[in-house]
Amino acid sequence: MRNPLRRRSVKELSPPGKLAAYLVLGGWALVVLFPLYWLAITSFKTPLQVNAGPVYLPFVDFQPTVDAWRYIFVDLRGDTLRPYVNTVVVALGSSTLALLLGSAAAYALIRFPYRPRVGVIALFAGCVLAAAVAVGLGTPPAVAVAAAGGCFAILAATVGRRFRRGLSNRDIAFWMISQRILPPVAVVIPIYVLFQRLGMLDTRTALIVTYAATNLPIVVWLMRDYFNTLPWELEEAAVVDGASAFRVFRSITLPLSTPGLVATFLIVLVFSWNEYLLALFLSSADAQTMPLTVAAQNATRGPQWWYMSVLIQIMILPVVALAVALERVISRGLLVGAVKG
Amino acid sequence: MAKRPFPRWALCIVGMSLLLAACGGGDDNQAAQDSGGPKHQGVEVTVLTFTGPQIAEPLQRRAPDFGRATGATIKVVTVPFSDLYDKILTDVATGTNSYDAFVFDPQWMGDFVPNGYLEDITDRVKADQALKWDDIAPFFRDFSASYKGRTYTIPLDGDFQMAYYRSDLLKKDGVQPPATWEDYLAIAERYHGKDLNGDGKADYGSCIAKKRAAQSYWMSWSIAGAYLQSEGTSQGAFFDAGTMKPLVNNEGFATALDIYKRTTQFAPADELNLDVGDTRGLFTSGRCALSVDWGDIGTLAIDEKTSTVQDKVGSVILPGSKRVLDRATGRLVDCDPTRCPHAIDGVNHAPFSAFGGWSGAINAAVDDKVKNAAYDFLAYMSAPDQANEDVTLGKTGFNPYRISQFENTDLWVKAGMSKTAADNYLGAIRDSLQSPNMILDLRIPKSAQYQGVVLDTALAQFLAGELDRDQAIRQIESGWDKITDDEGRDQQKQAYAESLNIQR
Amino acid sequence: MDAGTLTGDRDRAAAPPEARTRSQASLGSTVAVRAAFIWPALLAILFVSIFPLLVSLYISLSRLRLRRGGFEFQFIGLDNFRELYAGGEQAHFLGVARTPTPLGWVVFGACVGLLFWGLVRAFQGGTSVLGIMARVLGALLAAAVLWLAVRTLLAPGGRPGTAMVTLIYVLVGIAVQFTLGLGLAWLLTQGLPGQRFFRVVFLLPMMITPVGVAYMFRMLTDTGKGPLQPLWAAVGLSDFSWVNDPWGARVAVLVGDIWQWTPFMFIILLAALEGQDQDTVEAAMVDGASRWRIFRHVTWPAILPVCTTVVLIRLIEAFKIIDLPNILTNGGPGTATESLSLHAYIRWRTLDLGQSAAVAYSLLFIVTVAAMSYVNVVRRRVAEE
Repeated sequence: MRNPLRRRSVKELSPPGKLAAYLVLGGWALVVLFPLYWLAITSFKTPLQVNAGPVYLPFVDFQPTVDAWRYIFVDLRGDTLRPYVNTVVVALGSSTLALLLGSAAAYALIRFPYRPRVGVIALFAGCVLAAAVAVGLGTPPAVAVAAAGGCFAILAATVGRRFRRGLSNRDIAFWMISQRILPPVAVVIPIYVLFQRLGMLDTRTALIVTYAATNLPIVVWLMRDYFNTLPWELEEAAVVDGASAFRVFRSITLPLSTPGLVATFLIVLVFSWNEYLLALFLSSADAQTMPLTVAAQNATRGPQWWYMSVLIQIMILPVVALAVALERVISRGLLVGAVKG
Repeated sequence: MAKRPFPRWALCIVGMSLLLAACGGGDDNQAAQDSGGPKHQGVEVTVLTFTGPQIAEPLQRRAPDFGRATGATIKVVTVPFSDLYDKILTDVATGTNSYDAFVFDPQWMGDFVPNGYLEDITDRVKADQALKWDDIAPFFRDFSASYKGRTYTIPLDGDFQMAYYRSDLLKKDGVQPPATWEDYLAIAERYHGKDLNGDGKADYGSCIAKKRAAQSYWMSWSIAGAYLQSEGTSQGAFFDAGTMKPLVNNEGFATALDIYKRTTQFAPADELNLDVGDTRGLFTSGRCALSVDWGDIGTLAIDEKTSTVQDKVGSVILPGSKRVLDRATGRLVDCDPTRCPHAIDGVNHAPFSAFGGWSGAINAAVDDKVKNAAYDFLAYMSAPDQANEDVTLGKTGFNPYRISQFENTDLWVKAGMSKTAADNYLGAIRDSLQSPNMILDLRIPKSAQYQGVVLDTALAQFLAGELDRDQAIRQIESGWDKITDDEGRDQQKQAYAESLNIQR
Repeated sequence: MDAGTLTGDRDRAAAPPEARTRSQASLGSTVAVRAAFIWPALLAILFVSIFPLLVSLYISLSRLRLRRGGFEFQFIGLDNFRELYAGGEQAHFLGVARTPTPLGWVVFGACVGLLFWGLVRAFQGGTSVLGIMARVLGALLAAAVLWLAVRTLLAPGGRPGTAMVTLIYVLVGIAVQFTLGLGLAWLLTQGLPGQRFFRVVFLLPMMITPVGVAYMFRMLTDTGKGPLQPLWAAVGLSDFSWVNDPWGARVAVLVGDIWQWTPFMFIILLAALEGQDQDTVEAAMVDGASRWRIFRHVTWPAILPVCTTVVLIRLIEAFKIIDLPNILTNGGPGTATESLSLHAYIRWRTLDLGQSAAVAYSLLFIVTVAAMSYVNVVRRRVAEE
């Protein structure tokens, strides 16, 4: 809910300033909208009209047809609906998961002191690697994980005590974001083999888990900054009153950082919605998602622009609708100032 | 009361989607499982190919009919074309086996067959009367579908390249269709810059798909082939079968490269970024005088939705050369009856069966019941009753490969070609298919690396001016030698000889 | 207490130290609480990242061989890397280096001078031996990259390889995206009428799947069917094919990249600007400060942490650019627009997994160095402010 009085007290731009502002804004809006307009009218053109040369205005330069739309919605009914539903489920599921886990981790990284010792980390990595290799070689996953967990617990309790050198929260955060450095090309086949051994290929769960895990670092980094702008006094009051960390996190921190949460959610949603390579390999028939259908329009005959445009448009509509709905929340930065006073 | 970050409506959407998924994405093939002949009752076959409509459409269209007749359920799964090879190979090599059959490119057999991924169907094919195996053109029967003398695929489509020209223009000016590559260049030069389709804009002499990582490396070999191979398919056009030396560091290939680059002068400004979809679009909207392509232009040209040059398109066997390579010296020498036993009017033609023609193959690792059903489906698709109709339809992407398909012009006339156009198109196809000097596309292990990576990159760099001709040749030669050595020179030599049915 | 973001804990300074320590300590006092917050995320990341990371490393040291009924990885040591850095792929990866032009020498000299000056300042500032060694190493690396850049870009006959092209995409792309994103976000917090419309419109490009954006730009740059043809013709460029000229093609890729990813900067910075403390801003305005001064002294320091984070995230993502060069020109003309990720992908597509992993690991190394340098530089600069 916006307080109209607050906005109007900000000094307005002078007329030349306004003009300049609108020129810039309008210019960039044109740059953004023109390709989208072109995309939209291409979906109403026949192949001949697309190949012959650019025509710009429907009804004036060319006669629009709904052939492409009919093909996608009627001829390919099931083949369009299934990927669409998959995309919605996978994207929403993975973004929610990533947001929950990531904001908790972000909160922890700025409120709690962690000092993981280098040696213990090395031990852990070794045990995980051993488990992964075992799974890759065919051991049942449950056995491998249990064995590795046991090994690690024992080793950490005995040898682990000796290690001194530790890492800081900053290092943990940097490690997290460094997981995004390797391009998907390098990780797709190992991930494929991993899920194959777990018998989870061609399932939406595999995609949800993978996307959540790969987008977690982004959530952590973005939410750390938002949480850090919250004054400590608010939480301190609750802590002094005896609230647990969960309580403080859930009732105070999260509601106050809504703009940041929403922005991050949108970003992560978009990343999952549009991801291509992992979706291609982790799905075979049932779990295919929309980006595959878009890329698939480039076949032996060259890109079929008309079908592609239809698919791209129906792909972005829900995300845009969500963005419109959530934009209101992003602009609610007032709550922080209000509480401060 | 502070608003929760996740409004309830978001949860509703998730809930609804899950609900939709449960009901909506149901089994579309339920209807096809009628009580038909009990031959394959209850068997489900998953066929993988790339997203169409080409190739996938006829499979999807005919699957219910087949299902009704035999009780089997055929599920056609599609993936993007550029990733088909990786998907199939990871699926079979890792033992996932989520696909029972593939409609793919037989050129890839070099990677599949030696590792036992494909089912040997020689005996099935021999025993199958309905398939009319002998009706399939010899080249596709004996070379394209076979490896080491055994049959592994059922051809559904015949791939080879031809040259296309604007018959109306050439007839008006009394010009003969190009017989050699010099003719091709002359015609291209003649028509470049003129308005060929009456829209007032200057058009182009020649349109060839030169885009990197698209079809460029086949186009280049369509030109080079006539210089490199003259004694029949078994001579091979990529390597010297005795030493496994690439046939690139010689005058024949060098001449071909020069011709390839020269066609760019009579082409659209961004030809280096055009793939076959773009060039076909340009040709069928009347903007090119010449093109080199697979059989698709013939069927695309008669479709009013895509073409303004109905009945103005002629096709001819790939232009050839009057001089061929002497492999001992590396120089070009004139054709004579011994060197060019298959020459036509003194010109050596080497039609290039680029890519090989989409074919169906069966995963060797699945159940016998499924294999039987899969075989029957693929044989059904290839049988003359179905195939002869499908090859006349442009949208199916199937080009002629059976002798009966190009002898009977009625089907083509019914599909919309005029009699003269059908005679011309089918005549060119017949000349190419019946040529004993057809080039078999490279099908040894790692063929994708030889052509798709080394050759293609060097060609792109040569055309863009990053490398000059001799640098490009050296880069291709050393790249190919490295792959051969990495794989094992003897293994590759043997695979190459086996693919060409060279008896030793 | 070491729990800061990139730029340190400045907000915490407000509270009295004892109270902060005591209650904050009580917040995270039990191991169970500390573990519960962070372990789910850690486990998730570990699950999908550690196996691929190590397997990729092994693959980069081997060659894939398909075998009857399966496959194997044959260990070949550093052969893949040797080919990449010193063998047949060197021209492709690092580029073709030639003697620089006079301008090239000048640029190189100036940059080396700057690096040297930075080093001297660091020595004067006084740091540990380890710190000095790290800085010298960093400076040497930077100089080596500069030398390569000058010899491939500012030298006749030189040609940048995929590594250099990727660097260009990243540096130019991020610079423009950040400036544009920040500028647009700031304009839209000035209370202009109709700003909601702009906010939604500016978000749109990021929503489209990257493959879709790439195909869109391919259509736009086509000289035959592209809608901008009449525009170019009017300016006299009707025959100029963007995608057939090396730099034209790179510009096309950059334009597409900027178009697509400016919204990323925009939305995050918008949320940050909106989250600012309005009271201080209003107080400054009432005092008569100009917009620029308010921005420079009030807004900029407040959003600096977010700015540095968003640039870091985008830096890491930008190095992986693949869809635009792949679909626009497949890396062409020649190899002019090929990025490192595309280089790896082309190899991977034909199952040359070893070489592909070698390129990917080189990318990993480059980006890690870049990210760490960025983090260090930012922390130092901000600490000095």
